[in-house]
Amino acid sequence: MRDLFCIFAILFCLLPQAVNAQATLLRAVISRTDTPQLWDDAIAEFEQQNPGVKVVKEIAPNSSTQFHDLLTQKLKNRDTRLDVFFMDVIWPSEFASAGWALPLDRFFSTTEQGKFLEAPIAANRYRGEIFGVPLFIDAGLLYYRKDLLEKHRMAPPRHWPELVDQAKTVLAAELDPHLVGYSGQFKQYEGLVCNMMEFILGNGGALWDEQRLVSAVQQERAKQAVRFVRDHIISEISSRGVLAYEEPESVALFAQGRAIFHRNWPYAWRVANDPEQSRVIGKVGMMPLPAFPGGKGASTLGGWQIGISRFSKIPEVAWRFVAFMTSHQMQKRIAFSTGRAPTRKALYTDPELLAQVPWLESMLETFKQAVPRPRTPVYAPLSNIMQRYFSAALALPGSKIDQRSALAARDMDRVLDLLRETAAP
Amino acid sequence: MKSSHRLALLFIVPSLVFVSVFTLYPIVESFRLSFYRMILTLPWLGQKMVGWENYLDLWTDPVAWQALRTTLLFVAITVPSELLLGLGMALVMNEAFRGRGVLRAVVLIPWAIPTVVSSQMWRFIFNDRYGLFNFVLFGGDTARYFAPLADPRFAMLAIMAAEIWKTAPFAALIILAGLQTISDEVYEAASIDGATSWQKFYHVTLPLLWPALLLALLFRTIDALRVFDLVFVMTQGGPADATNVLQFYGYKKTFAEGMIGYGSTIAVTVFMISLILALAYLRALKSERLQGAAR
Repeated sequence: MRDLFCIFAILFCLLPQAVNAQATLLRAVISRTDTPQLWDDAIAEFEQQNPGVKVVKEIAPNSSTQFHDLLTQKLKNRDTRLDVFFMDVIWPSEFASAGWALPLDRFFSTTEQGKFLEAPIAANRYRGEIFGVPLFIDAGLLYYRKDLLEKHRMAPPRHWPELVDQAKTVLAAELDPHLVGYSGQFKQYEGLVCNMMEFILGNGGALWDEQRLVSAVQQERAKQAVRFVRDHIISEISSRGVLAYEEPESVALFAQGRAIFHRNWPYAWRVANDPEQSRVIGKVGMMPLPAFPGGKGASTLGGWQIGISRFSKIPEVAWRFVAFMTSHQMQKRIAFSTGRAPTRKALYTDPELLAQVPWLESMLETFKQAVPRPRTPVYAPLSNIMQRYFSAALALPGSKIDQRSALAARDMDRVLDLLRETAAP
Repeated sequence: MKSSHRLALLFIVPSLVFVSVFTLYPIVESFRLSFYRMILTLPWLGQKMVGWENYLDLWTDPVAWQALRTTLLFVAITVPSELLLGLGMALVMNEAFRGRGVLRAVVLIPWAIPTVVSSQMWRFIFNDRYGLFNFVLFGGDTARYFAPLADPRFAMLAIMAAEIWKTAPFAALIILAGLQTISDEVYEAASIDGATSWQKFYHVTLPLLWPALLLALLFRTIDALRVFDLVFVMTQGGPADATNVLQFYGYKKTFAEGMIGYGSTIAVTVFMISLILALAYLRALKSERLQGAAR
C-alpha cells in the first residue's frame, strides 16, 4: 500500500515535467468572435506547421474595456504565462510606455510594414519603435434599411438632423411598436467614446488638443454635439435600452429588423446578411457616417493588433504566431468568415476576396480617412473621464451639460498635465 | 516560559506567517502606496512621495463622494432586507416538517452559485429584449419592455435585487444556527405561562437570537461595503456612474488606469470604513454576550 502511494506520488511529480518536455506552450489572449471555429482552425494549422508548439488560447471579454483590464492585470504582474495578446488600437502607446509590449522592429521590417495601411501602423508606433502588427481595421459606418427609406421615397441622409427627421417620418408612418430609429453603442465603456467622438468631430469639435495638451470637451461645438445626441438621437428616435448596448446587442436589434439606422464597425455587414442571425438580408445599405450641416463626417479608427509581451520567455515562437495570424492568407480568411476588414493593402485588390466582400473596395477611402483617438500612454484615465461624462450627459434627460463638461475638462486637464512632466530618461 | 507554551508558540507560527504574508503585507503595502504618486503607464515619473495629497484629492473628488453615497445606500438597503428575509427563511427552516432537509439545501443554492455566474444570470433577466423580468411584468406586450440596467434610476435597484437574492440564504444560515441554540425548554416554559406565538417570538426568540443577528449583520455589512463582482458583471459602473461603488472605482483607478497610488488610497479608505464598522459591531456583540452571561 505504502509502495503504491510512493509510486503515485513520484508519478504525480513527474507528470507536469513530462508534459512540458513535449511541447512549448504559447499562451495567447485573443478576441471573442462570432465564429469561434475560425480561431480553432487557425491554431490547429499553426501547431501543425510548428511541431512542438502548443497554443493555449484564452478568449477575452467582448468589451474592449474589460479586455484591457484583463490584460493589464497580467502585464502589471509581469506574468510570464502570457506571450501573445490582441490589442485594441488605443493600447499600443500605453503598453509601450509602461514597458509591457515588446518592440517588434527586429522581426517586423519597415519594408514589411509598408505592406500595411498607414493608419493602423501609425497607431502601433511609439517613440520610433513598433509594438504590434495590425490584424484588422475598423471604422465607424452607418447602416440603414434600404427598403424602408425607398418605401418612403428618401435618399440616405446627408447629415445627422436629416437622419433624425427621416427616422421620425418612417416611425410615424410604420406605426410598428418594435421599431426604433437608431441603434448604436452608448453603454458606459470605450465604445461610447468612439460613438461620441464621431458626433463631436462631425460638428467640428475635438476630444482634446493634442498639441497643447488641453481638453476640448467643454468647447461649444463638442457640447452642441452631445446635446444633439441626448435630445434627438436618444430621446426622439432610440429606445433608452441603447444606453446599455455594446456592439452585439445593438447589431442584434438591427439584424432583427427593429432599427432603421445603425452605427457599427464593418463586421456588422456580415451579421446583417447572415441567414442565421438576420431578418433583413438584402435590405441593408452601408455608407460613411454623416456629419452635421457644414461639418465633415468622421469615423473613429478602430481595429485590433497583435503584440508580444515583454515578459514572454519565447519571443521568437511568439513572433511566428503573430506573423502567421497577420499573414495575407489568414487576413483573407478572417475577412471571409467574420467580415472584418484586412490591414494589408494587397487584399483590397484581391479579386477572390472582392468577389465575396464587394463593399471592401468602396470602403477603403473611409478606412484611410478614419480618425484615430488621440495617442497617449494616459489614454485609459482620459477615456474613463469621458465615458463618465458622456454617460451622465446622455442618460439623464435634463443633464447639465455645461457643468458636466467643465468638470470633465478639469479632470482631463489634470491627467494631461502629467504628460508635461514627461522629462523622459 | 513553560515548555508547553513554547510548543504552543511553535504551533501558531505557521498561521502567523500565513497571515503576515497574505493579509498583513498587502495591507501595509497599500498604506505605503497610498502616500505615493505612482502611475504604471508613465514609469519614468517614478514613485514620488506625495504625503497626504492622494487623500486630499479623494476628499475633493466628486466621483468618489458619489461612489461612497452609492455604496452606503447599497449597504443600507440590502443588509436589512437580507436579514429580514433571512430571518423569515430561518424560522421556516427551523420548524419540523417533511422535506425540511431538501428545503434547507435548496435555499442555499443562490448563495452557493459563484457570484460571477449569478450576476451574468441577472444581467440576462434584466435584458430589455428577452429578459424574464420584462416578461413577468408585461407578458407578451414586448413594446413596453424596458432596460432597467440602462436607466440610472433602476440600475442600482436591479443590482440590489440580485444581491439580496444571492445573500439572504447566507443570513438565513447564520440565523438558523442561532435558532438551534435556543432550547425547547424555554418555549415550553413560555407556553405554560400562556404566551402567544407572537409573544414567544418577541420575548423569547428575538432576545436569544440577538448574538446571531448581530453576527450576520457584521458579516453582511462588511461584505456589502466591498461589493464589486455584481457591478463588474452587470453594469461596469454605468449608466451615468449610477452603480459606480467605491470598490469598483478603486479597481478602475488601479487596474484600468494604472494609478496605483490613488487606487491604494481608495482601497485604504474602504478598509478603514469596514474596520471602524467591524470594531463597532464587535463591541456591541461583546456587550451583548456579557449581558447574556449576566442574565
